[in-house]
Amino acid sequence: MDDLLVVKDLTKNFGGLAAVSEVSFEVRRGEILGLIGPNGAGKTTLFNLISGLLASDRGSIKLEGEDLTKKPPYKRSAMGVGRTFQVVRPFDMTVLENVMVPTFAHYKTSKEAKEKAFEILKMVRMDKLADKMPANLTLAQRKRIEVARALATKPKLLLLDEVLAGLNPTEVAENLPLIRQVRDSGVTILFIEHLMDAMMAISERVLVMDQGVLIACGTPDEVTSDRCVITAYLGEEAPGC
Amino acid sequence: MRNNKLKTAAAIFLLGLLAVPLYFTSTFVLHMFTLVFFYIALTAAWNIPAFGGKFSLGHAAFFGLGGYTAAILYVKLGISPFIGVVAGTFVAMLGGVILSFPLVRLKGPFFTLASIAFAEVLRMVAVDWRSLTNGSVGINIPFKPSWLNLTFTSGAPFYYMALGLALLVIGLAWWIRSSSLGYHLRAAAADEDAARALGINTAKAHFMGLMWSSGLTGMIAVFYVFYNYVLEPGTAFSMDLFSLQPAMNGIIGGMGTVWGPVIGAIIMTPLGEFLRFYLGTIQQGLNFVVYGLMLIAVVNFVPGGIVSLIEPWFKKKKSGDSSAADN
Repeated sequence: MDDLLVVKDLTKNFGGLAAVSEVSFEVRRGEILGLIGPNGAGKTTLFNLISGLLASDRGSIKLEGEDLTKKPPYKRSAMGVGRTFQVVRPFDMTVLENVMVPTFAHYKTSKEAKEKAFEILKMVRMDKLADKMPANLTLAQRKRIEVARALATKPKLLLLDEVLAGLNPTEVAENLPLIRQVRDSGVTILFIEHLMDAMMAISERVLVMDQGVLIACGTPDEVTSDRCVITAYLGEEAPGC
Repeated sequence: MRNNKLKTAAAIFLLGLLAVPLYFTSTFVLHMFTLVFFYIALTAAWNIPAFGGKFSLGHAAFFGLGGYTAAILYVKLGISPFIGVVAGTFVAMLGGVILSFPLVRLKGPFFTLASIAFAEVLRMVAVDWRSLTNGSVGINIPFKPSWLNLTFTSGAPFYYMALGLALLVIGLAWWIRSSSLGYHLRAAAADEDAARALGINTAKAHFMGLMWSSGLTGMIAVFYVFYNYVLEPGTAFSMDLFSLQPAMNGIIGGMGTVWGPVIGAIIMTPLGEFLRFYLGTIQQGLNFVVYGLMLIAVVNFVPGGIVSLIEPWFKKKKSGDSSAADN
C-alpha cells in the first residue's frame, strides 16, 4: 500500500526523559490512523516533532519520500502537513479571519482568501458564525475553527490532537462525522483521542504509545486485545512486555 | 446609505483640514496641527511591527538615520532633500535590517530592550563621528527658501506635507493590515507557534513589517528635520521624542490597530505640549509624572486603548452592511 508518511527511529529527549523513543511507523494514504496512549505517553510530542514545532534528536520523517526532518514548520505546512492543537489556539480575530490567515498561502488577494475561507467554514458548518469572535463560542465550535484553519493549508496529512476531548456526547456525535468527511475529501488523518468509543468507531488502524515507546499497532480489535496495551492502561504485570 | 453619509462626512472633514492654514494664521496653531500630523505619521509607522506584537522603543534610531542622511547630503554635498528623502528612507531601512536580527530572535521585553540599545548606540555614534555629523553641535539647515531646498517662508507647505504624510502612512497601515502580511502579523502576535504550524513564515512577516516601519519613519524624519532647520544627536536620536512618544501614543490610542495611533497622536501631542509648557515650568519632569499616570490608567482600565472604547459603536453600524454584502 502507498505510504504517505514514514517515520523512522524518531527520538526526542527532554533532559534525561525520553519523551519519544525510537518510534517508527507509516501512515498509509487515505486512511484514518488513531494514536492512543495514557497521559504522558508522548503523543503530543510526536505531533510537535512531525509538524516541526520541536526539533527531533534522532530519526527521520518523510512525506511522500521527501525528508522533512530538518525543515521549519511553515515549510512542512506548505508540503502538506496540517495540524490542530489540543488546547485550541484561535487568533484574536473573527472566525472568518482566523481561517483567512492560512488561506493566504494559496490565494494572494484578501478577496479570494475571504471567499475560500468562507467555503471551508461552510464545509465544517461554521459559516453562520463567520463574524463572531472565537472567545464567544463554545469549545466544540472553537475546535471546528481549528479544523477549518488546518484544512485551509490544503494538507495531505492532517494531525488532529484531541478534537473531541472536552465535548459533550451530542457535540461528539456532531463532530465525529466531520473527521470522516475530511478524510473522504482526500486528506489522510492521524489523530490523537482519549474517547475510546469514538476512536474505535472511525479509525482503520490504531497506534498505541506508552512512555515514549510505540507498543502496539493494528486494527482496533487487535490492539484492544493486546496484552501490552492492557498493561499500559490498567497497570497490571504482564510478562513479556 | 450610512456608508455614503460616512464618506461625505470624511470628505468634508478632509476639506476642512486643507483649509486650516487659511483660517489659522497664528503660527502656534498651525505648528500644533503640523506637529499632530507628524506624530500621527510617526505613530502609525511605529505601529506596523506592533501588528505582530513587537513593541519597539528604538524607533528614534530610524528617525535619526533618515534625518541625518538627508541633512548631511544637503549641507555637505548640496544634494536636494527630495533625493535625500529617498536616501534617508533607504538608510533607515538598512537600520531596520540590523534590528531585524534581534526582532526575529527575541520575544516580548527582550526585543524592546534590544531596540533601546540599538537607538542609544546610534546616538553615541552620532555624537562621536564629528567629521560626518558635527558631533553634539549638530547640523544647521541653512535658510535658503525654495521648494527644491524644502525650505519655506511660511508654515503652510509643511502643514500640507505633514497632512499628506499622515494620510499616506494611515493608508499604508490600513492596506498592510488587510493584506496577507497584516493577517500573518496578527496571527503571529496572537500565537507564534500556531501561526508557524499553519504555514506562516513568522520571521519573514516580522521582518517585512519592520522594513515598512523603519523606511516610513526615516522618510517622515527628513521632512521633520527640514521643518526644524536643525538636528543634533540628542534630538534626532531622542528616546523621549521619537521612541517613547510614538509608543505612548500607540498604547493610549490602541496598539496594533489602524486608528489607535491616530487617536493617540491627536490626544497626546497637544496634551504633551500643554503639560510641558505649564507643568514643566513648575517643576521639571512634572509633565512626565502625568504621562506616567495616564499610561498606568490606560494599561489597567482600557488595555485595548481608546480605540477599543469607540470600536464597538462603529462595528454595530457597519455589521448591517457587511452581512448584507455576504448574502
